Amino acid sequence: MMRHLLKLVWNRKRANALIMLEIFFTFLVVFGVGTLGMYLWDNWRHPLGFDWKNVWVVQVDMQQQTDDTFTPEQVETTARLAREVGSLEPVEGVAGAMLSPYSFGGYRSGMNMNGHYLEMDFDQVSEGFAGVMRLELVKGRWFEPADAVLSWRPIVIDEDLAHEVWGDAGPLGKRLGDPNPKEPEPEMRVIGVVRDFREHGELSGPGNFRFDYKQLGNPKYRPPRALLARVRPGTPAAFEEELTRRMQGVARDWSFKITPLEQLRQTAFRRTITPLIVGGIVAFFLLLMVALGLLGVLWQNLLQRTREIGLRRAIGASRQEVHRQIIMEQLLLTTLGVLLGTIVVVQLPVLDVFGSALRPSVFVSGLVVAMVSMYVLAAVCALYPSAMASRVQPAEALRYE
Amino acid sequence: MIHLEQVTKKYRTDRVETTALENINLTVEKGELVSVMGPSGCGKSTLLNLMGLLDEPTQGRIALDGKAIDRYGERALARVRNERLGFVFQQFHLVADLSVVDNVEIPLLYRKMSNKERRRAALAALDHVGLASRVHHFPGQLSGGQQQRVAIARAIVGKPSVLLADEPTGNLDSQMGDEIMGILQDLNNEGTTIVMVTHDPRLAERTHRVVRLFDGRQVQ
Amino acid sequence: MLRNYLKMALKVLARRKFFTFISLFGISITLFVLLVATAMLDQVFAPQAPETRADRTLGIYQVTLRGENSTFNGFAGYGLLDRIVRGLQQEVPAVEKVSILTTPNDVVSYVGGRKIESSLKRTDGAYWQILDFDFVEGGPFSEADDANARFVAVINESTRDRFFGKAPAVGRTFEADGQRFRVMGVVRDVPILRVVSYSEIWVPISTAKSRTFRKEYFGNFMTVFLARSRSDFPQIKEAVHRRFRVAEENIPDRTMFQTIDGGADTLFEAASRVIFEGGRESRPELLWAVFLGLALLFMLLPSVNLVNINLSRILDRASEIGVRKAFGASSRTLVGQFVVENVVLTLIGGAVGLVLAAAVLAALNSSGLIPYADLRLNFRIFFEGLALALFFGLFSGVYPAWKMSRLHPVQALRGRTV
Repeated sequence: MMRHLLKLVWNRKRANALIMLEIFFTFLVVFGVGTLGMYLWDNWRHPLGFDWKNVWVVQVDMQQQTDDTFTPEQVETTARLAREVGSLEPVEGVAGAMLSPYSFGGYRSGMNMNGHYLEMDFDQVSEGFAGVMRLELVKGRWFEPADAVLSWRPIVIDEDLAHEVWGDAGPLGKRLGDPNPKEPEPEMRVIGVVRDFREHGELSGPGNFRFDYKQLGNPKYRPPRALLARVRPGTPAAFEEELTRRMQGVARDWSFKITPLEQLRQTAFRRTITPLIVGGIVAFFLLLMVALGLLGVLWQNLLQRTREIGLRRAIGASRQEVHRQIIMEQLLLTTLGVLLGTIVVVQLPVLDVFGSALRPSVFVSGLVVAMVSMYVLAAVCALYPSAMASRVQPAEALRYE
Repeated sequence: MIHLEQVTKKYRTDRVETTALENINLTVEKGELVSVMGPSGCGKSTLLNLMGLLDEPTQGRIALDGKAIDRYGERALARVRNERLGFVFQQFHLVADLSVVDNVEIPLLYRKMSNKERRRAALAALDHVGLASRVHHFPGQLSGGQQQRVAIARAIVGKPSVLLADEPTGNLDSQMGDEIMGILQDLNNEGTTIVMVTHDPRLAERTHRVVRLFDGRQVQ
Repeated sequence: MLRNYLKMALKVLARRKFFTFISLFGISITLFVLLVATAMLDQVFAPQAPETRADRTLGIYQVTLRGENSTFNGFAGYGLLDRIVRGLQQEVPAVEKVSILTTPNDVVSYVGGRKIESSLKRTDGAYWQILDFDFVEGGPFSEADDANARFVAVINESTRDRFFGKAPAVGRTFEADGQRFRVMGVVRDVPILRVVSYSEIWVPISTAKSRTFRKEYFGNFMTVFLARSRSDFPQIKEAVHRRFRVAEENIPDRTMFQTIDGGADTLFEAASRVIFEGGRESRPELLWAVFLGLALLFMLLPSVNLVNINLSRILDRASEIGVRKAFGASSRTLVGQFVVENVVLTLIGGAVGLVLAAAVLAALNSSGLIPYADLRLNFRIFFEGLALALFFGLFSGVYPAWKMSRLHPVQALRGRTV
């Protein structure tokens, strides 16, 4: 039977090619949206590495355009600001960072490590950061004030980075980055490992992360651009005004912007999810269009084949056999379209288009989603026309005109 | 072989009820070659459809090999049609997108059979009707007579005991019609029971028995 | 004749409701998505109020400073722009006006324990002459206000409502980011996607908290030029280009950066410069290609769908064609019939898509999903999309109809095979 159907599909290739093409394109659309959805879902399930609840972010704008220059006075003022914030009753802890989590953009650094190029996101934070963000330390220790006077640069890394570089071996005390004779810099040495830190939030892909130390009030370091304060649960929004007033009191000419981390999280969330929703809606309508189109085309094809179906019934095919045959034909056509589509999308991992962002599990689940949707779509579209067709009365269909 | 008893067939549309056949009693014996004649609209095709189990009578009973078929389900009827009956139509009804041999194989697709056996049976049937050289052609590439021979091959490929032919020569010129009639006669000589609808008296003369219908009634 | 065709077409379409519905659905949804997407793009690039003179405006938006080891990509500082625009009008009389402005900055105010967040833009007096703001009350601040660092502001309607209720605001004061401003004018809300004109509060540049920005090469500044006419663009671009080369010689930190990429761009050129990591040249044609490619990619599936449906529709009518031919219709009349049918279908689909898009844009505008959105229908895109739908409709509907109409009537009438 299969061979017979294959022949039938092949001999009608002109009519079927267009249907197959349509299935092929639809497959690509579903694969794209499905994979993106799976990617985000997979990200969502991974641990975040910090606790965003009850943290307020103060963006400190020193009213200076260049990033790299700073004065000892600015360093001192920032330290005073942090002390002022920390002294307020609802604040449980304060830390400085160059960038708060959920920010748009970030710092990225690349280096050679054992001859390979290694990339990671990083941030410079003060010793209070681990407490304020509730990081989970799994090995070694966190920064402490004495780290400011070391002759080497202490760093804390996340498990992803530790695993990528050292595998199962312990990273503590190891040097990160090959020595660069052209630009001799103090070497970076791992003092601790945290579970994970995904600064762009739940929906971002996992990646390597590194913390550098920045001591508040030490003129060796550029003052942080953000102060993070952990406040007591239930602190009213009105406290913001007081916080601003107190900080304006310390640094009159600077600007401050206070945002609960929860709000930054929502904004970041919306930024990621909105394009997906828009894309999803468009894809949905495309799919609906295709479903209706396929339904119409199949119906039409079958109407034209009424006599063929009548004949098959006359020479001994039962209703179920006709029904099954038509659905099989459609699934066969779908298989061809899906096969073509799979060949195309398999090129993505083969040619390494998206690199490590396209994890094998995500790719496979995206592929499965696309395949299953195509078969469901095809089966649904074939169901009604084939039911109609199998109800054809052979005597009627074959009556001569 | 086929036995019709007091068979009446009425068609009902929204308002009008048409009687296509009324009180037909007919028995076709094994090995017979029977022709059904009558003017257009007299119920010939309805009779053939009833005998071919494509339609059910409004009244009366039909028996095949002594078994009444009115208690058969849809699936069982399909099985009987497939194994015991063969059909030949005026319009040939070949599937345009399948080659000659694939067309002939169709009835065997609904039986349990290996691909090889199916192919062998189809080729044998085509050989029987003298088309062994055309097996890979498509219907569109054949003449009308050749197409009808393919249709006959398809009808006999499952070795049915009864062949039902609805004006098998109606779309053919007289020379081709003679040829087709010859094939049918040969088949009959080999033991196949044949019931043929025709309005060509010349062909009817070449059958054992003629059933005449007029306005849904058997005339003699 | 045409009336007959039309009548017949409508009858046929009404009879085959399912197919008509599918075709209409496809055409209207495709056009709808196309229209909404272009409305978004237009909101960024097209000359819309208050940037009504956008077609003769050039600007320096983002610049790239490059050195051996460092690259800075972003908005320029005041010092760099000042060096480029100072004396430009004397050198090139085609430049009618020059204005320097900042990107909107988020500022916070507290009014009676309530937190109000607003976007604040600092700019100069010329800004109000280049742009065509619609003042609800009061007027803009002047060159002199900027020169004398007066704490005056123009605010938009929504900000007025937030600070003062719906009452008139001119002459009243408010605080933002620890500074107190007096309202000089109130303008209608400006869509957030307009890079040059969007803000909620506008104040003079000289009211900035610190003075150091006056010499900086990086920052959050941009500049816009109003040309006397579009034909002056090459001349202005050339002059700005020369001035960039001079500015290159005077980079404050020459050890870090040696070259500056940037130029006087239209908004579209500026976008392509940002997207393609601006080299010395902006590549607007590349951005065009990207947009066009995306649009075509999107329309691929609906087109295949439309072609499929149309083919089915025609095949379904093989016997009808046969009958008509048998009764003496010529191939030309038959093809004419199909042309009219497809045109009618496409036009109805287009109209539905247009109404749908108008409704959704209106809903988006009033929903506040995009702050101050003022999305409008782009009729050029509508007609282009319609033409494309028509092309595919005719191509897929009329060509097979024509082929079939050439068949011999007997062949069309009598299919001998199934």
